[in-house]
Amino acid sequence: MILQKIRTENMYLYYGNKMALNNVSISIPEKQVTALIGPSGCGKSTFLRSLNRMNDLIDSVKIEGNIFVDDINIYDKNIDVVNLRKKVGMVFQKSNPFAKSIFDNVAYGPRINGNNNKSELKEIVEKSLRDAAIWDEVKDRLHDSAMGLSGGQQQRLCIARTLAVDPEIILMDEPASALDPISTSKIEELIFQLKENFTIVIVTHNMQQAARISDNTAFFYLGELIEYNKTKKIYTNPDKKQTEDYISGRFG
Amino acid sequence: MSEMEKLRIFDNELKKLNERVINMSHLVEEQVSNAILALNTCDMKLAKQVIENDNMVDKLDIKIDKLCQNIFALQQPVATDLRYIISSLKINNDLERIGDHAVNIAKRIEPFCNYMSFSKKFGIDELANTAVSLYKDVDQLIKTHQLVLANDIFHNALIIKDNCHKASEKIIEEMMHQSEVIVVATNLMIIINLIERIASYSTNVAEAIIFVVEGKIVKHQKRNEEH
Ligand SMILES: Nc1ncnc2c1ncn2[C@@H]1O[C@H](COP(=O)(O)OP(=O)(O)O)[C@@H](O)[C@H]1O
Ligand SMILES: [Mg+2]
Repeated sequence: MILQKIRTENMYLYYGNKMALNNVSISIPEKQVTALIGPSGCGKSTFLRSLNRMNDLIDSVKIEGNIFVDDINIYDKNIDVVNLRKKVGMVFQKSNPFAKSIFDNVAYGPRINGNNNKSELKEIVEKSLRDAAIWDEVKDRLHDSAMGLSGGQQQRLCIARTLAVDPEIILMDEPASALDPISTSKIEELIFQLKENFTIVIVTHNMQQAARISDNTAFFYLGELIEYNKTKKIYTNPDKKQTEDYISGRFG
Repeated sequence: MSEMEKLRIFDNELKKLNERVINMSHLVEEQVSNAILALNTCDMKLAKQVIENDNMVDKLDIKIDKLCQNIFALQQPVATDLRYIISSLKINNDLERIGDHAVNIAKRIEPFCNYMSFSKKFGIDELANTAVSLYKDVDQLIKTHQLVLANDIFHNALIIKDNCHKASEKIIEEMMHQSEVIVVATNLMIIINLIERIASYSTNVAEAIIFVVEGKIVKHQKRNEEH
């Protein structure tokens, strides 16, 4: 049986009094890739950020409804947000490595979590870089600055940094939209490998990318979840006309 | 190029495809009607014309294939567009085969014309005419996508197939009693078989149109066969 890793129930999100998510109920299966698609401003990033409480950082945000990760309500009072964000990692559109060495970038998370054991850190860094499919490209220059890497390499480094704290869920917000086609296909291939061990939720503007890499696709429009289904179904025979219009480029 | 421009090009390609498939269907309709008219009237000139026109069908067949190939490669169609293009490919293929069978009928008219009364005795002319009307429905269905026509096609194709079998059985019986009719009877059996194939491909086309409109795969389903 497929486990449901993330579940939201009648979720509403407001920025001040502006509603950004309108009654979203969704169930996201474990160890699959779920793509969030929809026109700009429809709430994809907002939804993604609410899954590891990144929205807490924005004062005006108010959330109603429930969000469960592993059947635990993550907005519960006694939730440790730091632990939650370890479990639910995030990769952004613009790769944002620290102006430090490649090694230190990946070791950053484990160190913050109190791990100062040199050999353990070395092991974690190597494993994370391997899992992020960038080890071979950087193994001889781990102590060079991360800023010297190409855009695509920086993005994979950021994925390695996310993996280093041993998450279970990885949220990705347009992780390849600033990359060239070759770097993009490396990221896509990586995502395909990662889903063996991680639950991945990805926002993408690239319709073909969503079709290629995801198992499930959720189409958002004006803060509403319009249609959510197997990607195969969405791209061959969606139930809703709005979905059809959007994926075939006939929106508006 | 802006998204709107890309979309306009895409929609133009789809329109072009639609026009070509409709043209193909008209061409095949002409081929089928003429082949069967030639058969029923022993019109050798018309038969020859059907045989010659086959290269028009072949040319259009290739043009449609190429257009679909380009759309797949350049436009990455999804959803209804995707189903439409897949179906167009299949329909094109089926129409081309129906056209071939019209030609095969036309090629068999000469040996067969000396025995018109024999053919009439088994109602082959009537049977052939029902195939022409069946194909007219196919042509309309391709043009209008009105699924009621698909149901008519399924229904009528079954009747035609059934009548083909019945006629074949009668002819076999005749052959057993009268060995001198073997040559003409064999010819007749081949023509009956070609008519049956046309009915069969017509069903395929109807299935493909249902796939476009409803996204349902209805082939390989047992329809209530009435014997
Ligand atoms: N920090 C914010 N403060 C106020 N409004 C915001 C904020 N972030 C996003 N929004 C608004 O919420 C809506 C959804 O935005 P977002 O989640 O970024 O959409 P998407 O990722 O689908 O493009 C938009 O109308 C946007 O303007
Ligand atoms: Mg966004």
